[in-house]
Amino acid sequence: MIYFYDGSKPSFLTALLAAYSDDGAVLSSRSAQLGLGEKTVFVHADPQRAEKAEQRLLSYDPKCMQDLDLLLRSGADDRDKVAFDYFRLLAARKHPVRGMLAEDAAAAADDCIRRVEYEVHRFHGFVRFLESASGALYAPIAPDNDICDLLLPHFCARLAQCPFVIHDVKRKRAAVYDGTHTFTAPLDRAEVALSADEAAWQELWKKYYKSVNIPSRERLKQMRGYMPVRYWKFMPEKLGDLK
Amino acid sequence: MISEEKLQILTESAKYDVSCSSSGSRRKNEGGIGNGYAAGCCHSFTPDGRCISLLKILLSNDCIFRCKYCMSRADADVPRATATPEEICTLVMDFYKRNYIEGLFLSSAVVKSPDYAMEQLVRTVKMLRTEYNFHGYIHVKGIPHADSLLAHEAAKYADRMSYNIELPSETSLKLLAPQKSKESLLLPMKQLQRETLAFRAEKRKGYFLPAGQTTQMIIGASPEPDGQILRLTQSLYRANGLKRVYYSSYVPVVQDSLLPAVGAKPMREHRLYEADWLLRFYGFSAEEIVEDDGNLSLELDPKCAWALRNPQFFPVEVNRAPLEVLLRVPGIGARSAQKILSARRYAKLGFSDLKKMRVVLKRARHFITAGGKFFGTENQAVLRGLLTAGEAQAGAVQLDFFRELQAARTALTGEL
Repeated sequence: MIYFYDGSKPSFLTALLAAYSDDGAVLSSRSAQLGLGEKTVFVHADPQRAEKAEQRLLSYDPKCMQDLDLLLRSGADDRDKVAFDYFRLLAARKHPVRGMLAEDAAAAADDCIRRVEYEVHRFHGFVRFLESASGALYAPIAPDNDICDLLLPHFCARLAQCPFVIHDVKRKRAAVYDGTHTFTAPLDRAEVALSADEAAWQELWKKYYKSVNIPSRERLKQMRGYMPVRYWKFMPEKLGDLK
Repeated sequence: MISEEKLQILTESAKYDVSCSSSGSRRKNEGGIGNGYAAGCCHSFTPDGRCISLLKILLSNDCIFRCKYCMSRADADVPRATATPEEICTLVMDFYKRNYIEGLFLSSAVVKSPDYAMEQLVRTVKMLRTEYNFHGYIHVKGIPHADSLLAHEAAKYADRMSYNIELPSETSLKLLAPQKSKESLLLPMKQLQRETLAFRAEKRKGYFLPAGQTTQMIIGASPEPDGQILRLTQSLYRANGLKRVYYSSYVPVVQDSLLPAVGAKPMREHRLYEADWLLRFYGFSAEEIVEDDGNLSLELDPKCAWALRNPQFFPVEVNRAPLEVLLRVPGIGARSAQKILSARRYAKLGFSDLKKMRVVLKRARHFITAGGKFFGTENQAVLRGLLTAGEAQAGAVQLDFFRELQAARTALTGEL
């Protein structure tokens, strides 16, 4: 049986309860290929049951909800299966299973969480702000995972005086800091009037990027490994290299 | 705003400096812009595979020193430029705000005199910290022979400082960088180390070199063997408390009869870094890695080479071996070792489990048993062949027109 849920935490927990004792259960929050005669259920979040499930899981592992939050942010195709298997294992063992890396479910969840966290770390560096005419900063990003609000604490700490918007153009969501508060909001597209100097600073940055390179030691593969081409779209220094 | 041309000149003279790390500082943002990021952060990567973390730039490339290997030396015919402290400060602020960089790596040629050059560096970082209210990462290069008070002043504002020891021995330093001396590089290093320790002991507020000191040396411009280089490195870590020692393979940007005409092999630099990691994170000592006057093997990594020399320690059982023993297994790094420690608390691990955990077994399988099973080979010669497979053969030499081969000579004299 395929259990469809909407990708949110309460609906995942409700689906987990419904599917727990079903051996052939598959969880899905996206469109899925149906087998012939396959049965499907659409799970609607039940706040009370979800809360109860959460308390039970927390009693097994106090940190498991952080894991769930990160797993549900993953953009990987198999993340529903990974999350389901991980929590089913946790429910069966009734103690933290994070370190049981010889178990497939725990190893897969560990991988999946690591990917999300690694992308957050990467974007601490790869976000490129544009300065708007008002002085506020705007950065479009298109990450693999749903991480734009996870970037907020890092940038709030260092740009405390400066309001900014980090816009996930793929998921049409924005993480906003207005100088005192942070929040997330749906944002389809943004029109930003750039400051007078913005283009000149970008040119200067491109010049720096070109000058600091040592052409006789070209290692393109290594560069692409560290900074995959899919991230180049919003980086001024790499735009020229995108065909 | 600094002109593009000036930026280019000052960047190109700074780019051979290797250090670009921004780690180790937890400086807080105190009402301005920027903070430290203890783990370090890379903001971009250049086509040579190196990261851009800091804005690496010289304040000036107008030098009075004549270090043979340096492209900015006094008698070189290169365009000269000098930036003002204000130009550097606005550049840092605007790049930082746009998240292009994690901070500043400021260095300078020896303009007019060592004291003058160092003064300019201090002025710039002080201005950046106090007037521009910048709290991001700053790495300042120390100028040899400058007054010790200036070094102290710079350390109050910088997160990290470095004096480049340039060459691995005093003889080479005298030959290639005649105006620098061993003392002019090591004494300020020691002074800053003492002052940092004193500052920490007093538990005063504020910062004094929170990310410590580093240094850099050029490999392949002078004849020192790897054994000597690693012993020097080890003493710098142990006695001088350095955070990092960087190696830079010699690139012939300058022609001089005292310098080799070809650059050092990148592989040598790579092996030195591997050995450096073994010193810092894997509990090895320089004496174990390579003998005094020996060089590291180019076709085998230093840990593999050590394991082959010491077969009496292997194989080790992954389910029982302590961390420090696991770390000495070729192919098992810090992360794999941690994974093994974690997973074996719950279940006895076999080879299939290790594979599942993505522990790389290509080399490790010859040195471990998992649940008592061994899947490697014990024959030393075969093992050596397997470990170097696909790499250059040991002892193979590029034929040289001028080198007299033993066989060729005997053939000529008819003694065959």
